[in-house]
Amino acid sequence: MRTPRIGIIGIGQSAFKPRRDDANYPDLVREAVTLCMHDAGLDFDDIEAVVYSLSPDAMVGIGNAERLGVDAVGARNKRFLRINTGGSTGISSVAAAYYHIAAGACEVVLTAGADKVGECGDSQTVLNKIWDPTYERPLPLGTISMLAMSAVRYMHKYGMTEIDMARVVVKNRAHAALNPNAHLRRRTTIDEVMASRYICWPVKLFDCCPQSSGGCAIVLASERYIRERNLDAVWITGVGHCSETYYLGDRMGTGYSADHADAFALANSFKRAYAMAGIKQPQKSVHVAELYAPFSNTEFHAIEAAGLAELGQSAAQTAQGRFSIGGEIPVNPSGGVLCTNAIAVTAMARVAEAALQVSGRAGAHQVEGAKVGIASGNGGDHQFFGTMVVEA
Amino acid sequence: MPYNTQAGVIGTAMHAPVTGGKRSLEEIIYDVSQAALADAGLTIEEIDGIVVAANDQLDGRAISVMAASGSVGGVDRDILSTPSAAEHAFVLGMLRVASGQYRTQLIVSWSPTDVGSIPDALRLGNDPYFHRRLPLDDFSSNALQAAALANAVPEAHELALSIASRNRRNGARAHPQSATLAAQPGVISQSRVTHWPVREAMIAPPVTGAVALVIASEDYIEARRAARVAWLKGMGWATEPAFLGDRDLATAPALESARQQAYAEAAITDPLAAFDLAEVSDATPYQELLAYEGLGLCARARWRERIRDFDPGGRLPVNLSGGATCINPVFCTGLMRIAAAADQVRGTARNYQAANARTALAHAASGFAMQYQTVVVLGAERPRSQA
Repeated sequence: MRTPRIGIIGIGQSAFKPRRDDANYPDLVREAVTLCMHDAGLDFDDIEAVVYSLSPDAMVGIGNAERLGVDAVGARNKRFLRINTGGSTGISSVAAAYYHIAAGACEVVLTAGADKVGECGDSQTVLNKIWDPTYERPLPLGTISMLAMSAVRYMHKYGMTEIDMARVVVKNRAHAALNPNAHLRRRTTIDEVMASRYICWPVKLFDCCPQSSGGCAIVLASERYIRERNLDAVWITGVGHCSETYYLGDRMGTGYSADHADAFALANSFKRAYAMAGIKQPQKSVHVAELYAPFSNTEFHAIEAAGLAELGQSAAQTAQGRFSIGGEIPVNPSGGVLCTNAIAVTAMARVAEAALQVSGRAGAHQVEGAKVGIASGNGGDHQFFGTMVVEA
Repeated sequence: MPYNTQAGVIGTAMHAPVTGGKRSLEEIIYDVSQAALADAGLTIEEIDGIVVAANDQLDGRAISVMAASGSVGGVDRDILSTPSAAEHAFVLGMLRVASGQYRTQLIVSWSPTDVGSIPDALRLGNDPYFHRRLPLDDFSSNALQAAALANAVPEAHELALSIASRNRRNGARAHPQSATLAAQPGVISQSRVTHWPVREAMIAPPVTGAVALVIASEDYIEARRAARVAWLKGMGWATEPAFLGDRDLATAPALESARQQAYAEAAITDPLAAFDLAEVSDATPYQELLAYEGLGLCARARWRERIRDFDPGGRLPVNLSGGATCINPVFCTGLMRIAAAADQVRGTARNYQAANARTALAHAASGFAMQYQTVVVLGAERPRSQA
């Protein structure tokens, strides 16, 4: 038995915006799919299955909203299912599409979705509903307060400062300024970040991702399909997933199962993807990384979980420019989640951007010579983690 | 078979109805997961990956899969979730094992009844501007489909009574403690119409339930010398569009597509002869009738003539478990059809075990008026490996 190699042969992304009043939810999905199908040079008849990427129903205000997207993705009377692992949904959807082909069931699979976070009212109110209604929901928890607690723990453990966090914002905004699809494209400064108001200490407004609207789509195909048609492809060489606990209380206090400063399940997910890809020394092998980090502080433990820096070392290395475009291993050259977050497809955009990088198609934010890229997605209450290695 | 690795079901557990209100949702999920693992003779340490399915609106939580992380043993393990349908968790779990990259998968789905109004929760599945106020939910959309079918085939009304009665009798044998709803045709035909033409006694009231299956690869099954295996022989799944106005509800084109996929993989050309039994989606008896045609078991012109073929002892016994007509945990009834078919092939169906059950057909449908259709062929004999 040999699992066939699987490649990415088409990518479509919206230009992400704070609102898309001109497009309803299925329109937004269709926009990304149309871009993707053009990129792949395929017709819908070529698509054998669709994996639909949609995180909380409540974000679009429609239960099982994937049903309304069936025609938008051209799935009528075809194989179709939806994935939801919260913020990691996008990369989990790419993985699910990958398994369709790896199993031998299909040759060509589309994965697509969209989100209208910018039009949901207040995403934190929606996201409070992810917690247990009895014990943790009343605290009140949101994803910002959840990861602010991670920041506090990371500060305590590794000495991170708010200036360190601001450097991540400055770096990613500078990257996003080069990416026409990014939502927040204006460059900023450390002073400006530090002057922004606190949302939940130590996280300030500029340390937070925006609420974005837009879509993303990717077409995957088997090696046989790609070879027979002499197509250009980016190969998916590593796939991993791993999960943490649901209750945040299990990550704090004495006797915690995992330290909330770190991201042990993300690290384990990367280990699985690296093992599959045959990567033993990521700092030497990885040329570019698109890591899911919706708040500036979380980029540090994401970099460390990816093995691109030792624990507690990423803040200092960020200050040295190691993770900027032009540095040794650029992290989030697209501007990342910190500059664009349409939750249902944010982690898919990480795969898309990594694939564009290793195929030399990233445009103004291209990392020179990138041939091996990694992507990650975080979902739930920093609970579900998906990772991927892509190679030219 | 196109799959890179053969895979089979080696453990199942179905807990429905869960009554008494003394178990939290987490405990219900834990119980059913552990029961499936015990049935398979595995511990959670031997599970490589987990696929779960639940419905946010019924659970009352955004990203309802989150709460399952601990209960299914998912901490430091690989979990994916398919909220589109419970049976889609089975499909994805099978694909993962068939890819050769996983030895085992735990599949879990649940459906609670704590929400104030299940119809109101399901009604959120409509677009907010045009259809949500109708009101349109699983029950009313299924009734619209029943009406459309009966408009095309007027005898469907009479046949639906027969099917509901037969499923109730089957259920009483299969689950004598819990399937206690009326089976007499006269009682069913005289019960009040809840959503025309569906009568109250044609469907079972929603109950809390959970279902879990353990899937393993051929190498793992061989190494463990698992004796009771329901091998995957074919699998198909497909969707129709969401807007009912875009569909002819008296037909089931997505089911035909799913059936063609599954039967092609399993090399089934004469389904009535190929299967020893079938577990068929029966949210209403009208849908079961429509499925006979979609599954290639009986064209609508011959429904009246052949309806007895699907009785116990007939050519192809259908829903020996009693189906959702008897026990109806709304979201996970489709996965239960697959689990029930697997139990038959594994010889673990207890009260409803069919004699010589070697090849079984499972059909699952979800969404408004069977939008999602899934067809699974399971067999006692290991399929020949492609590799």
